[in-house]
Amino acid sequence: MANLEVKKVTKYFGGLAAIQDIDLDVFDSEIMGLIGPNGAGKTTLFNIISGFYPLTSGNIMFKGEDITGLRADVIAKKGIARTFQLTTLFLRATVFDNVFIGFHMHYRQAGWKALFHIPAVKKEELIIKQKVKELLNITGLTQLKDELAINLPHGYQRILGVCIALSCNPKLLLLDEPLTGMDPTEKLVMVDLIKKIRIRGITIVVVEHDMKAVMRLCDRIIVLNHGKKIAEGLPEEIIHNREVIEAYLGREDGEMDVV
Amino acid sequence: MTNKRLGKVIITILGLIILLLLPLVVKNPYWQHLFIMGLVNSVLGMTFSMIFCCAGMVNLGIGAFFAIGAYASTMLVIMGNWSFWLALPLAVIITGIIALAFGFVSIRNPGVPFVLMTIIFAEIVTQMTGQIQLFGGWGGFIMIPRPDSIGPIEFKTKLPYYYLILSLFLLIVLFLKGIYTSRIGRAWKAISLSPHLAETIGINVYRYRVLAFVIASSAAGLVGSFYAHYSQTIAPASFSGFFSILVQLYPILGGINFYILGPTLGAGIMTFIPEYLRITKEIEPIITGLLLLAIIIFFPGGILGSLINFPHLRLTVISNRLKEIRAWLSIIKSR
Repeated sequence: MANLEVKKVTKYFGGLAAIQDIDLDVFDSEIMGLIGPNGAGKTTLFNIISGFYPLTSGNIMFKGEDITGLRADVIAKKGIARTFQLTTLFLRATVFDNVFIGFHMHYRQAGWKALFHIPAVKKEELIIKQKVKELLNITGLTQLKDELAINLPHGYQRILGVCIALSCNPKLLLLDEPLTGMDPTEKLVMVDLIKKIRIRGITIVVVEHDMKAVMRLCDRIIVLNHGKKIAEGLPEEIIHNREVIEAYLGREDGEMDVV
Repeated sequence: MTNKRLGKVIITILGLIILLLLPLVVKNPYWQHLFIMGLVNSVLGMTFSMIFCCAGMVNLGIGAFFAIGAYASTMLVIMGNWSFWLALPLAVIITGIIALAFGFVSIRNPGVPFVLMTIIFAEIVTQMTGQIQLFGGWGGFIMIPRPDSIGPIEFKTKLPYYYLILSLFLLIVLFLKGIYTSRIGRAWKAISLSPHLAETIGINVYRYRVLAFVIASSAAGLVGSFYAHYSQTIAPASFSGFFSILVQLYPILGGINFYILGPTLGAGIMTFIPEYLRITKEIEPIITGLLLLAIIIFFPGGILGSLINFPHLRLTVISNRLKEIRAWLSIIKSR
């Protein structure tokens, strides 16, 4: 069953088309890769799906429900979580607090009750703190839980970003370049983490420039160039696709060196 | 109980005892007046730091909501013959409703447009109360009735006023403490640290900003109502733009990241020092402005922030800042 359907989505910035007529379907519990040269419109597409940019035309369906044009926080409540390309965390809060704040949507007690800290609210908070600890355990951040996020090494900051996204209990996770700026060991840890997340039944769309990782990780890949979809298929098909190779060889640093 | 928490409890109890006994020890009515104004100012400072730290917005119109509370309560008592004890809560509600209407429109653009709109709003309130005769004109209201006595307590000396404002102050502190440590407080923290990330975890940033603004403005209205019946005269000039600018000095001086203790400390200092040095009203703005500049340049964390992050106090930091300023001056001169 389709988890996310993007239908003929177009986005103009002024007269410039950042994205044109993009169609894509993401199926339940798959890892889909979204690749393309810089400026191809990958992050723009993420921003549209997660509600940060209004789209010019088209439709976005999530679990059979039309989510086109909803506010970002409403889309988050529907079950789409995302991370950012530039590390975006609550930098001046501890690791534990970062994830604790992330559990915002899980409270069931009314807000005015929370004000008086009645027992039911305290009990709920204890349950959520327990969940935070579990999540920190899974992502391997337990030892760092009292550090300020700003003091973490880059690799751990990226993991914390994913951890905050997971705290929303999403059904679909959009990862924007999760491996940027990481050394090989950190990359391995992150790839393992992403696989672990998939096993929990969460669908993942990942934008990434590291081709080796994308090929290892993804079930299916979509290639964007100049705001248009130029190829879609299994990793092996993509590697041998003429158009894709041309799109990449046009660039000096030719990131398709895995081929 | 950890050491840190024990220390907090001890400081709270000590502070409470001092606040309770203060006017009994210091019997001079002038000093008692300063204590009362110190508490009024610290609540106003808290409203500034609340809007700044919770919603990430700068409000330069606190004076306006202080004035709305004062005028609402005064007019209810004078024209409606209401009791002060009924006018006080109603003034808070009126302030809250006006804050909701203003926030509903202005918080759509929370950055610089919001700051400008608060300044304009403060000016509108001053002009309206001055120009419209119904609101007392530029002369304002005089002889505003004192609060009705409750049982044996009559509001004739400073003492009952002090305990009234102290209980309002403690009420507000308790309320803020409760809300800051609840999930609402955590959502506010998220918004102030990163509005974008806050949205992706499902926080309705706009609604939470409006909430912070309305709560803070209502608190300003509450002390405004008290102030009207305490000073017994109100006039548009006393709520002018400078007043709102002075208010932001309290939390910045005390420490902007300490929502409750910072404004209290800052207001305490700023209420006493000018009086103690016998500085006349005319040059007070100059001192205030210089102080504000000095704090922002040398101690961005305020007094409490500097005490906790001790490196900020190191002389090297100060000398580096001085070098920066000298460099700036030489650039300006060379132009």
